[in-house]
Amino acid sequence: MTRSGSILVALALVSATAGAARLSAGAAQPPQERPIVGNPAANNPHLGKADSIRAGMALYRIRCADCHGMDATGYRGPDLTALLATDVSDERLFHTLRKGVPGTEMPSSDDPDDDLLLLIAYLRKLATPAPAEKTVGNVENGARLFGAQCASCHRVGTRGGRLGPDLSRVGVARSRAALVREIRTPGEWVPPTFETVTLVTKDGQRIRGAKKNEDVFSIQVMDTRERIQGYQKANLQEVIYEKGSLMPAFAPGRLSDSDLNDLVGYLTTLRGVDVLVR
Amino acid sequence: MRALLMILIGSVTLAAQTAGPQVTSQDLLDGLKDPTRWLTYGGDYSGTRNSPLTQITPENVNQLSAQWTFQTGTLGSFQTTPIVADGVIYATGFNNNAWAIDARSGRQIWRYRRNLPDDLKLCCGAVNRGFGVLGERLYMTTADAHLLALDMKTGGVLFDVELADYHVGYSATVAPLVVKDKVIVGIAGAEYGIRGFIDAFDAQTGKKAWRFYTVAGPDEPGGHTWPKDSDAYKRGGGSIWVTGTYDPQQNLVFWGTGNPGPDYYSSAREGDNLYTASLVALDADTGKLRWHYQFTPHDLHDWDSTQVPVLADLTINGQPRKTVLFANRNGFFYTLDRVTGKVIIAKPFVETTWAKEIGADGRPVLLPGHLPDEDGSKTCPDLGGGTNFFSPSYDPNTHLFYVTARETCATYFGYDQKFTVGDQYTGGATSRPRDQKNFGALRAIDPVSHERKWEFRYPSVSASGVLTTASGLVFAGDGDGNILAFDSRTGKNLWHYLLGTQIRSTGGTTYMVDGRQYLLVPSGSALTAFALPQR
Repeated sequence: MTRSGSILVALALVSATAGAARLSAGAAQPPQERPIVGNPAANNPHLGKADSIRAGMALYRIRCADCHGMDATGYRGPDLTALLATDVSDERLFHTLRKGVPGTEMPSSDDPDDDLLLLIAYLRKLATPAPAEKTVGNVENGARLFGAQCASCHRVGTRGGRLGPDLSRVGVARSRAALVREIRTPGEWVPPTFETVTLVTKDGQRIRGAKKNEDVFSIQVMDTRERIQGYQKANLQEVIYEKGSLMPAFAPGRLSDSDLNDLVGYLTTLRGVDVLVR
Repeated sequence: MRALLMILIGSVTLAAQTAGPQVTSQDLLDGLKDPTRWLTYGGDYSGTRNSPLTQITPENVNQLSAQWTFQTGTLGSFQTTPIVADGVIYATGFNNNAWAIDARSGRQIWRYRRNLPDDLKLCCGAVNRGFGVLGERLYMTTADAHLLALDMKTGGVLFDVELADYHVGYSATVAPLVVKDKVIVGIAGAEYGIRGFIDAFDAQTGKKAWRFYTVAGPDEPGGHTWPKDSDAYKRGGGSIWVTGTYDPQQNLVFWGTGNPGPDYYSSAREGDNLYTASLVALDADTGKLRWHYQFTPHDLHDWDSTQVPVLADLTINGQPRKTVLFANRNGFFYTLDRVTGKVIIAKPFVETTWAKEIGADGRPVLLPGHLPDEDGSKTCPDLGGGTNFFSPSYDPNTHLFYVTARETCATYFGYDQKFTVGDQYTGGATSRPRDQKNFGALRAIDPVSHERKWEFRYPSVSASGVLTTASGLVFAGDGDGNILAFDSRTGKNLWHYLLGTQIRSTGGTTYMVDGRQYLLVPSGSALTAFALPQR
């Protein structure tokens, strides 16, 4: 558990002792991306080793569980047990851990190779994986529903609205369960920079939108008509922070289970759009 | 020829006039009495960061405007408190860069840069908190655990002393404390299994005068607070990374000590783990321990007690008391008797869930459920603490203590970890609980009653220190890159300026040059000076 220790530690230290110091370092110096040389996941010495798996678990809980869930069945991020049930290779897992997934919340990592190998050892040990997620539902109907119900606020590629998050790669960023949850109950978790605020001006005008940033003195929003607006708080009567999402909840009365299934089916096909001009 | 001779004679005369020590021990004792100077980390030996300057007032502070910005052009963030002496600013920066800068214009005079090895072991970046000064020498510590003396006029190195071996995890970031003829520094690295210490060196020769270990050895007083027949103490932590203060009447230096190591795993070091997470009062001449007070016995949450011990003379129950004020990372604010080290009063100044109160015996009364383990346990405050390395301020005019407070919680994990020399050794980690909404605040607290007189909330947590001035102002930074001014009695916000990146460690210092009062604020890798418009 030599290296494993340092892993845990390394994680811990992201904010540890001389502590806040690291924050400052981090702020000014984005982590250098480590190149992948050869296949570091070949001959992983930690596979099947109890100590390593425990260390990997600790790492997982600190770094991964917030998005992928304590049991790795997915929360905001995809269900990893489903991923592991496929024929995904350790080399592929290593690559994803190291490089992250562009266009999603999955970050790249500058941790030592050994830390990533510990994580893989833990992931491989996870209890009976569920069967792989397959595209289900009528994707064509899902695309039609998306155009009618979602595209005014969500963008795929170069089309659609900008008030809500861009969904061009949501098929790799979200598990099916997360998609269902976020459509049925979007207020359960609102991503940063999409939190709902209503600004009340001195003359009583109300501006509702997604908060992009704020400090003590000012606030920046995109209003529901996609206008970016900045206000000095001193010129506002009130700033109302709303708990829910700007997105309406699509309860079964609004979107049947069958349509939801089709819509999610369509969303899982969204895996990025090539906009390179050739 | 005659003209040349005149010039030569002139320069000789000038040289004769400027010879002699630029900064004397008496100057350091006088602290901020000379308003053109800021000579020690805390402004003076008491660490109050309370300036006597009154040109900038609550009435005119709204006219304060930026005069110049010095861009270092380096990576990393300032955590320095710049020294100001005779019209020149001396500042240390990231990666052991340092500069001398004209205090009027912001123009560079000289620059020093140390070549640091590639294999440094640093938990938290190659930051530095500033110079100490004596005579014509500046003293700084280095990320690779050395103490340097630099020539004030040129930045040239006069001596270089190794404090400890950086290869095994030692490092140094603290601004030296100069007392009489000695330079006092401490060592960091508690996340790498080091044994902390405070060292004093002869300011002239660089020869070591004394050492105090912040982790007691088996045969020393306090040694019984570490596991018996074990070498746990050898990697027991106790880093020193924020500058202490000095009481000349008692000839005592006060230093706050860091967390024990490993940070989170209890079974590795049963016992109170003296003198970690403590305040130690040492004889300035010999380094002998006069008294200690341990804020967090057997700390398990990485709560270094490396905050600034602020020395204040208070009237309590009609009696004059010599006190030391200490807002701790563990969430409690302490007023201690600085002659005896006993608690006078201690109360939480942020949400604190791990201890009910500080008992009559001075020990925290623990609440159950806060032992970090493999499943994690939620505790407030988080590892960053209720406050941290950023300096508070005490204003003897308002009798209030001003501190940047953090309202935070964390899930703490702890587990057994094998120690390997040179590897990080924390025995755990933390994560932020889902839906945890952290925020920051500047709080004004009465150090006698511990009543909160006012607060100003920030939307996010801040790492800025605080400065007060005799005109009734408080300066501090929020978590979003603003430097703000407040009325010190009411907390009313009177002015702000967005510097664009967080202020860390120092909430500004102030000095006079050419009859103008400047506010100097390090943020990111820039220094910005503010003043009132010239009439």
